[in-house]
Amino acid sequence: MLEKSITELHDLLKTGKITSEELVRESLKKSHEIEEKYNAFVTICDDAKDTKVTDSLVSGIPFGVKDNYSTKDVLSTGSSNTLKNYIPFYTATVVQKLFDAGAIMTNKTALDEFGMGGTGTTCHTGPVLNPWDPTRMCAGSSAGSACAVASGVYPFALGSDTGDSIRKPAAFCGIVGYKPTYGMLSRYGLFPFASSLDHCGVLTRSVEDAAIVCDIMKGIDKHDMTSWDSSKMHLKDALTGNIKGKKLFYIKEICDINNYPNADETLKEHLKNFEETLKLLKEEGATIEEVSIDQRLLNAIASVYVVISCAEATSNMSNLTGIIFGPRSDKQNVFEMMKDHRTLGFSPLIKRRFVIGSYVLQKENQERYFKNAARVRRLIVDQMKELFKTYDCLILPVSSGPAKKFDEDKDVIDASTNVLEEHLQIGNFGGFPSITIPNGLINGLPVGINMTGNCYDDENILNIAYTLESKMSYKGQIAKEAIK
Amino acid sequence: MSKFTKEMVDDYAEKLLIGLTDEENKMVLDEFEAIDKNIDLINEIPNIESIEPMTHALDDFTFELRSDIAEESIPIEDALRNAGKTDGREIEVPKVVD
Repeated sequence: MLEKSITELHDLLKTGKITSEELVRESLKKSHEIEEKYNAFVTICDDAKDTKVTDSLVSGIPFGVKDNYSTKDVLSTGSSNTLKNYIPFYTATVVQKLFDAGAIMTNKTALDEFGMGGTGTTCHTGPVLNPWDPTRMCAGSSAGSACAVASGVYPFALGSDTGDSIRKPAAFCGIVGYKPTYGMLSRYGLFPFASSLDHCGVLTRSVEDAAIVCDIMKGIDKHDMTSWDSSKMHLKDALTGNIKGKKLFYIKEICDINNYPNADETLKEHLKNFEETLKLLKEEGATIEEVSIDQRLLNAIASVYVVISCAEATSNMSNLTGIIFGPRSDKQNVFEMMKDHRTLGFSPLIKRRFVIGSYVLQKENQERYFKNAARVRRLIVDQMKELFKTYDCLILPVSSGPAKKFDEDKDVIDASTNVLEEHLQIGNFGGFPSITIPNGLINGLPVGINMTGNCYDDENILNIAYTLESKMSYKGQIAKEAIK
Repeated sequence: MSKFTKEMVDDYAEKLLIGLTDEENKMVLDEFEAIDKNIDLINEIPNIESIEPMTHALDDFTFELRSDIAEESIPIEDALRNAGKTDGREIEVPKVVD
């Protein structure tokens, strides 16, 4: 039953053909099965209770919450050993809004520690396996949420996105991942990673479901001073399916196969599939143009992201001492206690990121690294904003193909990192609304396509994605392994 | 020769109260090299120093000061419940100053 969309489930609940209790029971049962198979959760809320079905579309329906959202009285670890016993006394605003609307949290999903990874392998509970092929990763950091939605545990789960942490796992798991314009969703209660880049968002199996959930979650929040009034925006109502006259662009340097002299068959097929997908948009009356962007700017994306995100993370996570919360060390000196807690608690990946953050923030290094990264961030964002004066949306393939094998991506920046893997970070640099939807299968594994638009233009971007989705057959897709 | 050394990496880690294994130290060194190379590319962008650094995702925030009225704060028991050791209304730590 939980493979259905939110509106389908709502109709069945309203007409009494199913009950909320049945859905909760099914979601919990599936949670245990999926945990056994793919290691997707930190906590399964076995005491979750059904709710009254109201006119709210999500009432009575189960959902998942990434474990870096605070949930009152429910373990919230950020998938880190440094918070493995942390039980918050308050609930994140966006989660509370879903509770108020009658949705039921049935689990907390695993992530790369504090969201600082792109593989889904650095969770303190172990790697999350891809439900299409368990020898492959889900990508990260919202790995558990992507895995669970793709496996039909519920129609939606919350994610967070600092670089591509919703939109890449969505692609690798064959589902939809949407992060709205920065500040549309309050970040109050989301464990901060890099505050100037962090976005809340959702993973679903259709664009309409993403719109429904974000319509409920959005709104100004006095606890997040960067949130803004979106009361005149109605995401679901904006899904008309009419994109006649819309103008889209893609970036030549990213999409041209000739730029990849060592391209394998998978990459060739991925880029060809991208081209085929563009034709579907043209059939609906959209125009699509190729735009060239300074390769130096594109090459800088990954480093700009690493420098800024590591610097902000180093500062944000200085409160993780094991004294006010988190498991306390038994050392007898305060500094030794904190060092012990942090040395033993953090995974090697985020220790490395913290050290990079510390380095780029040193007074003597700030100008060369941190400030120059912030300057290039502006150059990239300004260029995008200039293009958004002419075009409705940037459209690009996600990653270099489908989900990678566990030994293919170590999540380390090295000289060979290519722009195709990292370009979604542009959406975080500028706070742009950005959505990934599935657009094909390569060797039986899903691949995705991403649409990113100008700030506050979420309705337009979602409608373009919605229209494209309706021309393909991947809406509501469930992972093939999960249904065996 | 690299401008980054193992000792530098350990020093930056120590400032964060983080200990690194030799393997972790080496990975940081390798990553530093890659980032440094890319930063060199950034420095090739003409007039880079004249650009105002972008410190946040949006440039058009509207900040409003709230009224200066005391609001209800969290119960002290809630604030203390995740602390390893407490003493009444306070968090207990080893003596810091002799």
